[in-house]
Amino acid sequence: MTIRNVLRDHGQRYRPRMACLKKAEKVVLEMQDPATGVKLQPQRLVITTIPHAITGEDIVAWLADRFQIDAQEARSFGSMLVALGYIYPIQDHKRLVVKPDASLYRFQTPYFWPTQQWPVEDTDYAIYLAKRNIRKKGILELHEQEQYNRLHKWMNHKWDFIVMQAKEQYRAAKERKKPDRVVFDCQERAYWVVHRPPPGTVSAMDYGLERLIDPNAHEAKTPDDYERIMIFTQQSIMRPRVKSSVSIGALVKYCATYKGHDPFLSKCLPSNPWLTDDVTYWALNMPNVEIPTKMRVERWTFSFGELLSDPRGRDDFRLFLKKEFSGENLAFWEGCEDLKWGTAATMKEKAEQIYKTFLARGAPRWINIDGKTMEITVKGLKHPHRYVLDAAQTHIYMLMKKDSYGRYLKSPVFKETMKKAVCPEEHKFSDSQLEQNARNRRPSLSPIIIRQQEQEQKAKMAASAPVDITQVMSKLSKQGKEAPPRRTSVKND
Amino acid sequence: FNLIMGKEECKTMLDALNKVTACYRHLVIALGSTSDSQNLREELKKTRKKAQELAVANRTKLTSLLKDKTISKEDRAEYERLWVLFSSCMELLEVDMKRSLEIAQDFPLKVPTRHLIQTGMTGSTTTVAARAMSVQNMKYEADSNIDTADLRDLQAEITQVSQMMEEMEMKVQVAPWAVEAKQEAGAELKSNMSVGNSSVGVISICEEEPKEEEGGGGSREAGFASICAVIGFFVIVIVALVLGYLVVNM
Repeated sequence: MTIRNVLRDHGQRYRPRMACLKKAEKVVLEMQDPATGVKLQPQRLVITTIPHAITGEDIVAWLADRFQIDAQEARSFGSMLVALGYIYPIQDHKRLVVKPDASLYRFQTPYFWPTQQWPVEDTDYAIYLAKRNIRKKGILELHEQEQYNRLHKWMNHKWDFIVMQAKEQYRAAKERKKPDRVVFDCQERAYWVVHRPPPGTVSAMDYGLERLIDPNAHEAKTPDDYERIMIFTQQSIMRPRVKSSVSIGALVKYCATYKGHDPFLSKCLPSNPWLTDDVTYWALNMPNVEIPTKMRVERWTFSFGELLSDPRGRDDFRLFLKKEFSGENLAFWEGCEDLKWGTAATMKEKAEQIYKTFLARGAPRWINIDGKTMEITVKGLKHPHRYVLDAAQTHIYMLMKKDSYGRYLKSPVFKETMKKAVCPEEHKFSDSQLEQNARNRRPSLSPIIIRQQEQEQKAKMAASAPVDITQVMSKLSKQGKEAPPRRTSVKND
Repeated sequence: FNLIMGKEECKTMLDALNKVTACYRHLVIALGSTSDSQNLREELKKTRKKAQELAVANRTKLTSLLKDKTISKEDRAEYERLWVLFSSCMELLEVDMKRSLEIAQDFPLKVPTRHLIQTGMTGSTTTVAARAMSVQNMKYEADSNIDTADLRDLQAEITQVSQMMEEMEMKVQVAPWAVEAKQEAGAELKSNMSVGNSSVGVISICEEEPKEEEGGGGSREAGFASICAVIGFFVIVIVALVLGYLVVNM
């Protein structure tokens, strides 16, 4: 077909593909077969009889038979068809589910089926509400009234058209015979229950965000596309390859190391909060807890990255470095992280601050990096951007990893922490205790409060800046120059 | 005088287009269901042609009116309002035409393995089509393969309509959002409602809706209740007459 099913959508929003619709249509068409389809019965009203009604139990039975599934699944499948709008309930029209009893349903006409390329227009909804207004003589349901007022405000320029069209459609509907009129009203009402659900109704029409590219459009391949494919394949060939034995070995090692620490794979001490509703696990593993758990401390020994990424581990490491008077490395690393992740407005002054504190000649917390990296960094700082200190940061990271990390793991600080680390007992809750836990669930601290606490802590740390070896040396040298007599007097004593 | 005549003409033509659009929508809704038939396809074709004639006529009239630079500001506002009415009508018509093409292709009438959807609608749509064409009775003259032969015409007509709408957007400088509607909220309740058999229809449809919610059983109860009420009334009247007779005789 050469007709493109796209109206002049100047907003260029396209609905994403709903693959389930085509499949549901096939099922509904199969249900229509007079021989093998769903059993139909007439619906008896006061004066008229309307054919082609189906009961919920017939739908469920047919689906279970056709797809060889059990009754529960057939019921969910049927409810999905109702929620999508292919079948509508006649009696409880606001609840879009299939009840496996004698409640009646009917098939929806193809015009009112959900389609991917035809969006449901507000204009049509406004016309429907106006028609309903005429029918109900001005007494609409609450949500309908709200929608009516809203549309009247936003579609005011089309309102004359809406009123005219509503009246004409109302009159045209009267031209049909009585049973058909009733069916048409039910159909239209069902359509709008699916696409403008009243409060408390769940329809299946929540398809997510609209796309910027028309999923139905055919994209012709341009020479540019082929060029991109060529570049991609060339880069893939040039990529450094690792032997599968090596990579698989690394994977196996990783799994073996972390197997005991994964709450999905092994027991979570004391108990998994998602299962038992008891938050001890989270309380014990807070970022700034005094006494960490044994598992947590064990994880710090796996790699330097683990140690640094855990806030409690970083604190411990900082304490160790303070004792060694080499805290400037970690401080520099943290400053670089701050620069990388911070807001763009503060970047320039942050970079300058870091330069003054760590990199300049005679800086108070001077870090030891090699000449080439220093050259590159200083040159980059003329036009600072987010990643200008990357080279220096990597150098310092490797330094800490190769040098300080090893010493840390053998240090008394770490041994002390490991001794004090707590290993909680496993909880054994009875069913009634589990219920009680579920009832006592409370929300955790708001992220805003947590962020404030973090910032306060940072400010406190910045205020009480730890002493580094350069500072100590400079202080000592200053002291030496200022008060030699005092020193000699001490020496004499 | 000429201007007033022009406006009245416009309004009547727009009313006619509006009526045909509403009827076309009703016909398209019946496509693919058990109301579908050869006749329905022919009705769709005829209604479509009429709609197109009206559309072209409306467009020429309105464009000529809007092009006139000598009209006053109120007149121009009025013509812009009529233009918005016209373009909204055309949008609805275009969507319905495209959808009717899709559904007609999905539900060919002659294929025995392709079943129509059992929607419960079984009556014909002749009266709706007659209303659209403004005739008393519809005459059916098409061949038996109208469902497939018509589709090519329909495609051509859809392209025509789309082109017309694009031209309209390009050439006529009317800002639709600047138009103020004359009708307030709830205006549909006020004006003269349909006369004739429809008033009876209104009440009975209202009755049908809540009854459907109770189900088939509920309707029987309601019938009983009304019969009991009538019987009770007569009993009371008879008792009153008897008492009155006794009082008189005393």
